[in-house]
Amino acid sequence: MAGRSVPYLLVVPVAAVIGAILGYPMYSLVRLSLQKYDLFALIAHHGTYVGLHNFGSVLHDSIFWHTLLRTVVFTAANVGLTMVLGTLIALLLVRISTWVRLLVTAGLVLVWAMPPVVAVQVWSWMTNSENGVLNYLLAQLHLGNFFQHDWYATPFWQLTMVTTLIVWEALPFVAITLYAALSQVPHELVEAAEIDGARSWRVFKDVTMPVITPVLLILTSLSILWDFGVFTQPFLLIGAGHIVPGNYLMGIYVYEKGYAETNFGLGAAISLLMLVIVAAMSVVYVRRMLRVGEVE
Amino acid sequence: MRYRVLAVVAAAVALSVVVATATASSKKATAHTLTVWLQVDAQNGWPDIVAATNSAFEKAHPGWNVDVQYQQWTTHLQKFDATIAGSDTPDVIEMGNTEMTKYMAAGAFTNLTSSQSQFANSKKWLSGMRAWGTYKGKLFGVPYYAGSRVITYRSDLFKKAGFKKPPKSLNQFQSELVKVGKMKKRVKGFSPLYVGGEDWYTALGFVFDYGGSIATFSHGKWHGTLDSKKSLAGLKRFKAFFKATQSKRTATLDASGLGAGNPFPYDVFKQGRTAANYGPAWYTCCTGKKYTKVTQQFVMPSHVKGKAIPGFLGGSDLAVPAQSSSKSQAIDWIADFTGTASEKALEQKGNIPNATNLLGNSVNERAASRSWFVPQATHWVDVENGNIIKTMLGQLLTGQLSVKQAARAASQNIAQTLNGP
Repeated sequence: MAGRSVPYLLVVPVAAVIGAILGYPMYSLVRLSLQKYDLFALIAHHGTYVGLHNFGSVLHDSIFWHTLLRTVVFTAANVGLTMVLGTLIALLLVRISTWVRLLVTAGLVLVWAMPPVVAVQVWSWMTNSENGVLNYLLAQLHLGNFFQHDWYATPFWQLTMVTTLIVWEALPFVAITLYAALSQVPHELVEAAEIDGARSWRVFKDVTMPVITPVLLILTSLSILWDFGVFTQPFLLIGAGHIVPGNYLMGIYVYEKGYAETNFGLGAAISLLMLVIVAAMSVVYVRRMLRVGEVE
Repeated sequence: MRYRVLAVVAAAVALSVVVATATASSKKATAHTLTVWLQVDAQNGWPDIVAATNSAFEKAHPGWNVDVQYQQWTTHLQKFDATIAGSDTPDVIEMGNTEMTKYMAAGAFTNLTSSQSQFANSKKWLSGMRAWGTYKGKLFGVPYYAGSRVITYRSDLFKKAGFKKPPKSLNQFQSELVKVGKMKKRVKGFSPLYVGGEDWYTALGFVFDYGGSIATFSHGKWHGTLDSKKSLAGLKRFKAFFKATQSKRTATLDASGLGAGNPFPYDVFKQGRTAANYGPAWYTCCTGKKYTKVTQQFVMPSHVKGKAIPGFLGGSDLAVPAQSSSKSQAIDWIADFTGTASEKALEQKGNIPNATNLLGNSVNERAASRSWFVPQATHWVDVENGNIIKTMLGQLLTGQLSVKQAARAASQNIAQTLNGP
């Protein structure tokens, strides 16, 4: 009898920790999403139950649907760019001499090590319309009239600038991981393919790709999860003074509804909806993880 | 083999989680610390007055020290909300006059009515400033200072262009600016007046100058009025004035020094790239060594000759959050900070002090002869947070929408926001 309960006893600490750090906040979030919880409630530390009203008003808000669509497009662009550029850098890393590779890797690690808030500040200085180095360089190179050009003039450009920053920050992780994956591609196979007359694209497609596909899929899934809920970069780079419904991403939408308008119940409802979307997307990731384990 | 790669992925993910956790700051909390939230204006303009108050307070309250934390206008309310949720509010908070109503209505502040006699000159407070911090007859905010908006300019450039006296009308001012601009046209990016297009405090001065308004309350509801005939006349005049005096692409900047790293207007002044700024009177603080001697100010003229253009009457209150555990000390600190000596020093720096007996004849006080204020609605602060007016200005200045279209959209948006969810 005692022997049989040992496994369960061993699981108890883990279950308790997960319950405490995931279960309780989730319970609170669900409860909050069913309440009207505004500034009055915040001060009283007590909200009033309104059933599913918050969910109804979010789903009937056209801003929500526009934001969702914008975020999906934004995520696709960011992940696409990150994966393509990351793969190219990884392929480059394989081909260059050791000391150049060391230099490039060091550069990548420095990028990876930079905290997002600092990166935003640097980006915002560089792209500043008055004194930014970007406008200065473009003007010096006579690449058109970029004198005091405002890079953040329209929502499209605001989000484009955010994309450049996010992709730049995400590249090192993808490039270094893919480089590790590429080192697993057997040399003999590549050589054999080349001897049989395969060109480089064919070698990449039929020899390299199959080996790195699992890693590629996992990286893509992770990138989607990260980019979908991104907040720091758009909020700080666009700046609180320019955040409007026309440039909302999901993370910002939650913040504006929940915090800026002090409507915490509504904010909780939006985050639960986001959670459902993100969970649906991570199904691919989790299944792939399990399958990779099975193959080995 | 692939396990190794996966291990790298897992390790990297784990690392990023650790880094993210480690960056969450720890907070020091000692029993005898009075936490005061002031806005960056004090940090830039009068840190000496803050320091004097702190040392006087610490002398009178042995064992106490004051922790002044400077806040940004765009984020301080969200941070304040977070401290309310955690019952960890500051003991004193500076609130913008447009932000008070929502928080007073919600009961976020301590009722200071019975402590009124502790504040110097409280019987002679300016009535407008008293009104900012009063809700349903109770006092929640102590008037700190007010400020209108004035033109800070380089007298050397205006003199060189042949203008020795301040302009009497808006038209005259505009043609003077155009002339100064022509004189300096070889300086790339020079604009005779540096104003961000989305600086709504400037733009709405034109609206009020032409008799327009932001919103009116009738039949139990708010109605947006930025698309009224008079408001539209003001917005059109603003657009024309902006186009004539701005040689640069500043239409979409708010030029408040925030967001996308925009420079403060006085930084542009310091760099010799403008002849004038329109803003708070304390801008003289920061126009740079090179131009200190030629930095002067005048009241921006109205389109009606001889009058001042209505300036936004900005200002701040000091309040004691209801959850503060050191209320009596907080009141003592506020009494020090708004005492006669402090308020006089604030007046010296170009601000409007809180009491009639302290008023002088500064350019700021003259500018305040005509002023405008935002609608006193509980949800006004949401209009500000939503950047509704800024968006309208960006749209109409860049030509994305016509003046009328942009104003109509903003008006509807404002009415919807003010009438609440």
